[in-house]
Amino acid sequence: MSSYVATFHSHFGALSYWKALKGQGVSATLKPVPRKVSSSCGTCVLYQHSSAVDLDGCELDSIYLEVDDAFECVLQK
Amino acid sequence: MTKTLQMLLVGGLVAAIAITLVLLGNPANMGFCIACFLRDTAGAVGLHSAALAQYVRPEIIGVILGAFVASLAQKEFAAKGGSAPVTRFILGFSMMIGALIFLGCPLRMALRIAGGDLNAVVGLVGFVAGVLGGTFFLNKGYTLRRTYDVSRTDGFLLPVIALVLLSLLVAFPSVLVFSTEGPGSMHASLLAALVAGLVVGAVGFVSRLCFVAGIRDSVLFGEFPMLAAFTALIAVGMIGNLAFGSFNLGFGNQPIAHTDGLWNFLGMGLVGLSSVLLGGCPFRQLVLAGSGNSDSVVTVFGMAAGAALAHNFQMASSEAGVTLNGKIGFAVAAAAVISIAVYNTFGKESKGIAVAE
Repeated sequence: MSSYVATFHSHFGALSYWKALKGQGVSATLKPVPRKVSSSCGTCVLYQHSSAVDLDGCELDSIYLEVDDAFECVLQK
Repeated sequence: MTKTLQMLLVGGLVAAIAITLVLLGNPANMGFCIACFLRDTAGAVGLHSAALAQYVRPEIIGVILGAFVASLAQKEFAAKGGSAPVTRFILGFSMMIGALIFLGCPLRMALRIAGGDLNAVVGLVGFVAGVLGGTFFLNKGYTLRRTYDVSRTDGFLLPVIALVLLSLLVAFPSVLVFSTEGPGSMHASLLAALVAGLVVGAVGFVSRLCFVAGIRDSVLFGEFPMLAAFTALIAVGMIGNLAFGSFNLGFGNQPIAHTDGLWNFLGMGLVGLSSVLLGGCPFRQLVLAGSGNSDSVVTVFGMAAGAALAHNFQMASSEAGVTLNGKIGFAVAAAAVISIAVYNTFGKESKGIAVAE
């Protein structure tokens, strides 16, 4: 399991992604975007999963892998 | 250093700068006010003719340029836009109508509370109610849809406009209109105000300071660092006012304020609701505008246009109270904002979510 931070183009996108992850039984939390990450929208989704979850239809911007308080971009839409 | 401690320092710094600007000549409880200063600037370039509110405020220029430089330095300057620009113009316009009913933006509301103005506490209650209303729409799916990358040149234009305004102020002041009495005539020196703006703009960008986010994030996420900045701003401002003898607790005889509680509540309520729908308070909009976000530039233009029309149509309040035109203007602006919220929450079509191929 790894920690991921997904950023979005809108709060609605973050909310939709969060709901979709919850629907799949993934542990996910809505949070303000960490300062070390740039984003159009101030809301991100933090979650634990074996891999980055790429979903269409939720205005996904990027997904970062969080390692030791550092963020590595692993997906950019 | 924890995030909360950082934001406490940011709030305290902004308060200290605001108190210093008042000592250097800005109007009382108005060391910094994005709404008032945009209104003064709109008047100085002839967009309205309210004789008491005309001056190109260097603080506004400073915030734009401070955010611009900080975003370049942090390699975070991003030219983006295209998220419902006309809607954002209307929201910015309406937000300004609410701010001029109350007489201040959220930043000045905090500074007024720090000066002992209890009318601003009533405004704060309205502001919180507005933010909670906006949060309701966010949780129900409100969106103005995504932003897109735009030409990098587009992101540079507002800083260029700010530099042109600064050039006019320094080299050709005769083409501008300046108040000779009233709040517009009261200001710190150009250099002090510009430096203050630059610092606050840069700090605002780096910290993502937003007076709406403090309340919104605590409600939505149970996160309190931004609220800590808001609290520190009031606390340090209050200490400063007490130290310099400018603390005056009460409702009456407050500088550039009126005592109509209902309209203080409603005015800031509209500011709170509009700010959440826009994604940030007037200060945050100005900072984002300086860092390449053309949606925020359109919002700032909407705010300036709202300020100009508020004075041209006698909708802005004064120490004498709220005008009839102001009440009518508020009703129209509130109806527009609520309609935008409802349509963009419940009226949109969902494309559905699917695993990307």
